[in-house]
Amino acid sequence: MAIIDIRIDLKKGVADPEGSNTKKTLESLGFKGVADVKTAKVFEVTLDMPAEEAKKVGEEMCRKLLANPVIQNFSVTVR
Amino acid sequence: MEDHGGIQPMRPEDVKVCVLTIEGTNCEDEMADAFRAVGAQAEKVHLKQLIGKTPPETRKDLEDYDILALPGGFSAGDYIRAGAILAARIRSSIGKEVERFVDDGRPVLGVCNGFQILVELGLLPAFDETMSKTATAALYTNDSGRFECRPTVLRNDNRGKCIFTSSIEKGRTLVMPIAHAEGKLLSLDPNFVQRLEDNDQIVFRYVKEDGSKAEYPWNPNGTESDIAGICNPAGNVMGMMPHPERVITRLTHSDWTRNCRSMEGDGLPIFRSVVQKIR
Amino acid sequence: MTGEGLMVKRKVPFELYDINILASKDEDLKRISSDMSLGLSLDEMKVIKGYFEKEGRNPTDIELQALGQAWSEHCCYKSSKSILRQFVFGIDREDVLSRGDAGVMVFDDKHGYALRAESHNHPSAIEPYGGAATGVGGILRDVVCMGAQPIGLADPLCFGPIDTAADLPPGVKHPRYLLGGAISGIRDYGNRCGIPTVTGGLFFDERYIGNCLVNVGCFGIVKREELLRNFAGGPGEVMILIGGRTGRDGIHGVNFASQDLTATSDDDSRGAVQLGDPITKEPVIHACLKVNEQKLITGMKDLGGGGLSCVVGEMALAGGCGADVDMEKVPLKEEGLAPWEIWVSESQERMMCTCKPENVEKILEIFEMWDVSATPIAKTTDSERMRLFWKGEKVFEMDLEFLTGGPLYDRPYTLPKVSTKKDEVFPDLPGNNEVILSLLSDLNIASREWAIRQYDHEVRGATAIRPMVGKLNMTGPGDAAILMPVRGSMKGLAVTTGCNPWFTALDPYKGGMSSMDEACRNIVAVGARPNAITDCLNFGNPEKPERLGEFREAVRGIGDFAKGLGIPIPSGNVSLYNEGSGGVSVLPTPMIVGCGLIDDTRKAVTADLKKEGSTIFLVGKTLDEMGGSLLFRKYGGSGGDVPGVDIERLKETMDKLLEAMDKKLVLSCHDCSDGGLAVSMAEMCISGDIGAEIDIQAEGPDMKRALYSESNSRWLVEVDEKNAASFKDIMKGYAVKIGRTGGNALSIPKAGVSISVKDMRKAWSDPIWKIMGGSNQ
Repeated sequence: MAIIDIRIDLKKGVADPEGSNTKKTLESLGFKGVADVKTAKVFEVTLDMPAEEAKKVGEEMCRKLLANPVIQNFSVTVR
Repeated sequence: MEDHGGIQPMRPEDVKVCVLTIEGTNCEDEMADAFRAVGAQAEKVHLKQLIGKTPPETRKDLEDYDILALPGGFSAGDYIRAGAILAARIRSSIGKEVERFVDDGRPVLGVCNGFQILVELGLLPAFDETMSKTATAALYTNDSGRFECRPTVLRNDNRGKCIFTSSIEKGRTLVMPIAHAEGKLLSLDPNFVQRLEDNDQIVFRYVKEDGSKAEYPWNPNGTESDIAGICNPAGNVMGMMPHPERVITRLTHSDWTRNCRSMEGDGLPIFRSVVQKIR
Repeated sequence: MTGEGLMVKRKVPFELYDINILASKDEDLKRISSDMSLGLSLDEMKVIKGYFEKEGRNPTDIELQALGQAWSEHCCYKSSKSILRQFVFGIDREDVLSRGDAGVMVFDDKHGYALRAESHNHPSAIEPYGGAATGVGGILRDVVCMGAQPIGLADPLCFGPIDTAADLPPGVKHPRYLLGGAISGIRDYGNRCGIPTVTGGLFFDERYIGNCLVNVGCFGIVKREELLRNFAGGPGEVMILIGGRTGRDGIHGVNFASQDLTATSDDDSRGAVQLGDPITKEPVIHACLKVNEQKLITGMKDLGGGGLSCVVGEMALAGGCGADVDMEKVPLKEEGLAPWEIWVSESQERMMCTCKPENVEKILEIFEMWDVSATPIAKTTDSERMRLFWKGEKVFEMDLEFLTGGPLYDRPYTLPKVSTKKDEVFPDLPGNNEVILSLLSDLNIASREWAIRQYDHEVRGATAIRPMVGKLNMTGPGDAAILMPVRGSMKGLAVTTGCNPWFTALDPYKGGMSSMDEACRNIVAVGARPNAITDCLNFGNPEKPERLGEFREAVRGIGDFAKGLGIPIPSGNVSLYNEGSGGVSVLPTPMIVGCGLIDDTRKAVTADLKKEGSTIFLVGKTLDEMGGSLLFRKYGGSGGDVPGVDIERLKETMDKLLEAMDKKLVLSCHDCSDGGLAVSMAEMCISGDIGAEIDIQAEGPDMKRALYSESNSRWLVEVDEKNAASFKDIMKGYAVKIGRTGGNALSIPKAGVSISVKDMRKAWSDPIWKIMGGSNQ
């Protein structure tokens, strides 16, 4: 059994309105020194297979469904 | 008069439209009604009926339809990314049939979430092949970061390739509502807009009411070059963020009480164009 | 858990307790109620004890929990029913088709329209996103179980001022956070279900800080031959549980809704807030309507407050039968739920239908098609008793009449002292230019565009008049929305919201009347005739006589208005105990959701000025009624008469105005409400992007009253100059010419007013955007 964390984030240069809106709101709540806020999405997937294979399968999942290569990067880490 | 090659156009009442639904699509009623308004037969079909996952008597075959329409909504909750789940399901089940449908020259329309699905499915922009293996563009979060529902003004910028604007004169403006949170068309290709332009794949651009260049809120999502709708290089697949099916009559336009030129809505010519062109 | 000796675990392989109430003294009974979170009073516990003495046994924990649900204020209206009965029940008209979970009225020969509103206040104060979203889910179900397709949503909301800098009491969240969460919840749920949110309201006041109000309304359309009942057809039928699985979410929601919020509500009550799933809901709607269309079911009801415990009993009893329930069949989200938890859980997205046994298979097939879970869990019997079985063990058997009957109270009330002219203090005012701009930018007037544009208000392609009207991207506030629910028909359903909590606080009777008047004049303003209303009555703790007095008077006002105008109230909702920590009650808030009909939507009218050079009329009479006005609230005035309603006069005015609209004499029309004539006129200029010159014959303080009094039953009307005489003819003495349109400023020379439309638009447009983030530019 392997648990993998799949992290999907935005490619460099793709604007992140959710992140920048969150930054603005945090500042309006009085948080100082907020230099940047970025959003990302994490999927925790449990796979019935060895860790090494799980990583490969996770990457395949990203290519087939979880990430759009035009705007998103993905990374898969095994716990 | 263009050459019909001996093939006569179909009578509108013989044109069969498949309006594809799954859980979360929610503009299928008005989409079907829009096609009916121009005389076609429209049928709401659940994806499960097309892929043989229902009792035999309810099954349907995509082959039997002349037009495929992907309505708006939040297919499968728009989880992961807007349109991604339905696109993945289509690709893994009837992907080949859809590709054949398009290769055949049969029209495919995607509105709002339907446009997002077409992009995720690789049917748009489809520069190099009918259906790319992965998405080559994305419809991404509006610059405002919010879901927005508002009227927009569109200009038909297509030079003649797109079947869905075949009866709409170039440069004509149409008023249609948008309602989406992810409508900003993006690509990593720096020549993206130029390629679309060169191929005559740009169909609609957002403009101001007087026809001049749009800025927010006239361009509601921040798309480069104000692109609101595009077609594939062959002109038979079109995706657009605004909702033509919501403005079939003037009475559902947002400003009809002050501006009522005719009772016909601005969305109607799109459906009329495609249904008249089917052969 | 309850002390030793009172709870005896039964020797079965699951969690089941017999509660020894037969041997309990008063103290024990109180402790049982509180330890088990039943929310039942000692007197109620004694009645229950008496019942089980007759049965000759002790109750199980499930039975007591079921009673706790069924006898809650939320489920049985024990404090409010006698008052409702006296003033608003039974206002009949032949076009009332049903008074079920939603009211249903005649729409046309073939169709009925459904209407219903409900509060989701307490959950939203704790977790606004989920609370508001599930509120939308619940109200959609109420409409669906009439067999109706939902066609529109309403979302009146009340919050503390979103710019408040006040120190908030412990456990209270900032209004800006609450508003943001509630709007997102309604947006995500409504948009995802594909039902347009077309009307609503935002009300801001300090007194909503500790307890915000989230009301939701829903409208639907049903073929009259497919109108559904909310109960079983008789004995021998099958009950099928539809939709989501049952989990621990929402346990004790109704008891929570029937208590005041306290500083620790947050930690205690998260379990009572439910999580919604619109993507389950959407196919549930499809499938439910499909099985009804095919005439496979006999009744349908949604699982709201009280969950299974309420719905099974009510469906059986109203169908004149009893029920045997096989509880093991209930599909669960997680293992290990005790039977009582399953029985009272308020998990979302669930409905129940009843059917003849021969139709079960066909029904299950349709649900399967939509991937919606559907499970037969019970049978109706001819016993008028309900029995529950778990793994073969009988865990519950009660008389349905007793279970669902519930107590009824005539609680003591005191009549409130009302505000009058006698104690009026008229505030000092700056110049009228400044007053008008500052009223326009008041949170209770300023543009709601920030919220409205996040809602899809035109999905389904049937929205003819939107919440905002006027020039593209220059819109101003509308009065009522109009939907055209039957494709190919020009008939329209006008929907709107009306409420004035400030009037109601100063004079509850007139406040109830005024809220009704506002709903009706909004409907008339778009050219429709008021047809029916539904209400959501949000008040404080009914055990406090002054709070109950406010409730009683407001309900009396609503009832007198409804009877006077002949407007039925086929459904309604009461939400009491709206008090924050420290016992601060919300403003008494009788939220009215109104519906009107227009035969030919092409004759609908909007509020935006249409052209230069037309004549402006004031329809209705401005009186010296400054009590509760926005002007007084803003500038520190007090006292004054609260606006009342002259029903006979309203009737005549309304009829004449509708006649003029039907003859297409009216270019634009807007009601006068918060901020009075001055603000209404400014709003018409903003949405039409045209100025106006107004000439009012008044001096000094009388001029201020003419501009800012919020007298009811008034409209501003734009009429083409060439039609002014015909309009006047129809209106007789009910309309006075007060000016003409033109230019790019609002000017009222006698009052020293001259403000450009641009400046007014800016003052009106920006405030909420500035606080909530983002912009419309």
